[in-house]
Amino acid sequence: MRRILAQCRKELLQFRRDRLTLGLAFLLPLLTLLIFGFAIRLETKVIPIVVQDFDRSPLSAAYTDRLFATDQFRPARWRGDDPVADAIDRGLAKAAVIIPPEFSRRLKAGQPVEVQVLVDGTDTNNARVIRNSIQGTTAFFLSEKELLKNPPPVQALTRLWFNPGRKESLYIVPGVYAVVLWIFPSLLAAIAMVKEKDKGTILQVYASGIRAPELLLGKALAYLLVGVSMAVVVMGLGGLIFQLGFAGDPTPLLVGTTLYLAAAVLFGLLLGVRSANQNAAVQGVSLVGFLSALLLSGFIYPLSNIPPPLSLVSALIPARYFIVISRDAFVRGTGWAGVWLDVLMILALAALLYLLTLRSLGSLQLADGGGGGP
Amino acid sequence: MASRLWALLRKEVQQILRDRQLIKLLIIPPTLQLLIYGFALNPEVHNLKLGVVDYAQVAASRELVSALTANRIFLASSYPRSEQELARQVERGELTAGLVIPPNFSKRLATGDTARVQVFIDGVDANSAGIASGYIQQILRRFRPEAGVLPPTPPVRTQVRFLYNPGLTSSWFFVPGVIGLVLTLIATLVSAVTLVREKDSGTLEQLLMTPAGAWEILLAKILPLVVLLMGDVLLALLLGRLVFGVPIRGDPLLLLALSGLYLFVGIGVGIMLATVCRSQQQVMLTAFFITLPMVQTSGAIAPIESMPAFFQALSLLNPLRHYIAILRGLLLKGVGLEALWPHALALLVMAPLLMAISVSRFRSQLS
Repeated sequence: MRRILAQCRKELLQFRRDRLTLGLAFLLPLLTLLIFGFAIRLETKVIPIVVQDFDRSPLSAAYTDRLFATDQFRPARWRGDDPVADAIDRGLAKAAVIIPPEFSRRLKAGQPVEVQVLVDGTDTNNARVIRNSIQGTTAFFLSEKELLKNPPPVQALTRLWFNPGRKESLYIVPGVYAVVLWIFPSLLAAIAMVKEKDKGTILQVYASGIRAPELLLGKALAYLLVGVSMAVVVMGLGGLIFQLGFAGDPTPLLVGTTLYLAAAVLFGLLLGVRSANQNAAVQGVSLVGFLSALLLSGFIYPLSNIPPPLSLVSALIPARYFIVISRDAFVRGTGWAGVWLDVLMILALAALLYLLTLRSLGSLQLADGGGGGP
Repeated sequence: MASRLWALLRKEVQQILRDRQLIKLLIIPPTLQLLIYGFALNPEVHNLKLGVVDYAQVAASRELVSALTANRIFLASSYPRSEQELARQVERGELTAGLVIPPNFSKRLATGDTARVQVFIDGVDANSAGIASGYIQQILRRFRPEAGVLPPTPPVRTQVRFLYNPGLTSSWFFVPGVIGLVLTLIATLVSAVTLVREKDSGTLEQLLMTPAGAWEILLAKILPLVVLLMGDVLLALLLGRLVFGVPIRGDPLLLLALSGLYLFVGIGVGIMLATVCRSQQQVMLTAFFITLPMVQTSGAIAPIESMPAFFQALSLLNPLRHYIAILRGLLLKGVGLEALWPHALALLVMAPLLMAISVSRFRSQLS
């Protein structure tokens, strides 16, 4: 125990001495939080569209106004006659609504009218949203002008739970915590491990008689402390800026964050040990680790969309469990009843990472140290 | 002069070919990422778990449930007895949506009144919640309780056609984005790490002692990297084509030319990082920091139109945004320079500018 603490103290001392890394370690997560929190919006609003009105009647003008009355669409500026070639091909507009001639005459005569809607399909998610909201607006226009003969018999009163205003920061920011608190602690730990190996100081460590688990725990504890202070800074400022308070019992978050940070640090140490002086390996794996924490964790798109063989991969990513815990703590507020399994999964993954790191550290010692091992 | 550059180039190529790790780095992560994200990323909303509390228990109410679940947007996964039980299940995250059909449902339908049902949606994922509620409205507009009765044709029919990607295959959206993302990460990291390593070990200074000029030395370092990374471009396009069936509708030569141009931008960013950082560790940290917002504000994952105005303006300075617009234009839309010239021009300005600044910084640091 004493040796673990000594190792930890030495590690922190070294970390503090490297001013630039220290600064980056706290500045980068914060800036990342700000950029993600302010810039990522999945919900599309004010989509530029063009309306080509061949009718030019008061009724078609009313229809056009209705389309632009919501904050969903805005008129795109375009020149020319062909909405596809002049607006959509160039990316100036995402959709074109073409109102045929005789729109108002036929409507008043009770004959059906076909409005052509061309949607840019390159952004598939957007394309569906655009279609749905043009159709919804059209239905609203018809009922507003009392052009519907028999209105739909069933209506839904929709209520959104937990996030009635559909504030997207409530969804994004708790997810950013998971991404930031995974990437930066693991990166720092990996760097520390690689540095030690590069400089050959690890041989001196072996010679000093400290055992592999003690070395590992000491290093992990040091970077866990760094991670915890990072978490306090990031979550504290994130809460202030994005006005995110605890929605319920904060203890699952406290326990979950500590375990999650431990898993991140151990993951970084594992990378550092396994890379055997090869920076390329660290980069390769950290690239994959980074992108998977970002994209396979349910941070942006719902996990239920990931197809079966890959959903197994995502089950091994601690970030996915931490996102559940973090969203629960800040938005949902159910507490232990809702997230105990996720806390347990992070614990299991952290234990697995510890064992893996210990094993690679042991084999490294034999290979490098010769007689220097315990 | 030409032969000196040639000799330097040969040396660099030999050095790279000997570096197995680099070759692996250039092949394995891009392939994995393209495959994983092409298959896994899917913004579509489907199979949302729906809990149904049916107080009416009549044929019409059951028909309503099957209308909602017919196109697999919702999945009726539980039938709680009461609203309280439904609420508990939504709170625990076991359900994403709930439907409550009131006892007077059939009576109101029979008398011709509008029957109201209650729908609860878990709003934590604001985007999916919005889409789901849009779908519910749309389904209910067309719902008619009597079996066999078709909904009346509305006076205005919207005939929707999706251009460029009629089947709305989501991998067609993500593959161009991931290609841009992977190229950015790899070009930046590889060039930055290579140069910092040489700076660290002092081999660059040794080269400077030779009669070769600094420009020649750097050019000899950059050119083989561009060639190698072009291999990555081809690999990614091939994978997109063979695995996901992503078409190449535009001019392939223009695509390669603009990709080459973009690689110079990525390498320029990498060299710039190498001039700022003193160690490989710092390079890695800052490279992550630079590439993260580049990816986020590029439109690769989240659409640019939905970002706040300030970030939209900022993203005009992001070379990745322009490259992804070019990729989508040339792969999916099949347009040419007549539509893409603003993006091509942006890259054409950024590449030499970045290169010139970073190379001159690098040179002044060395001498």
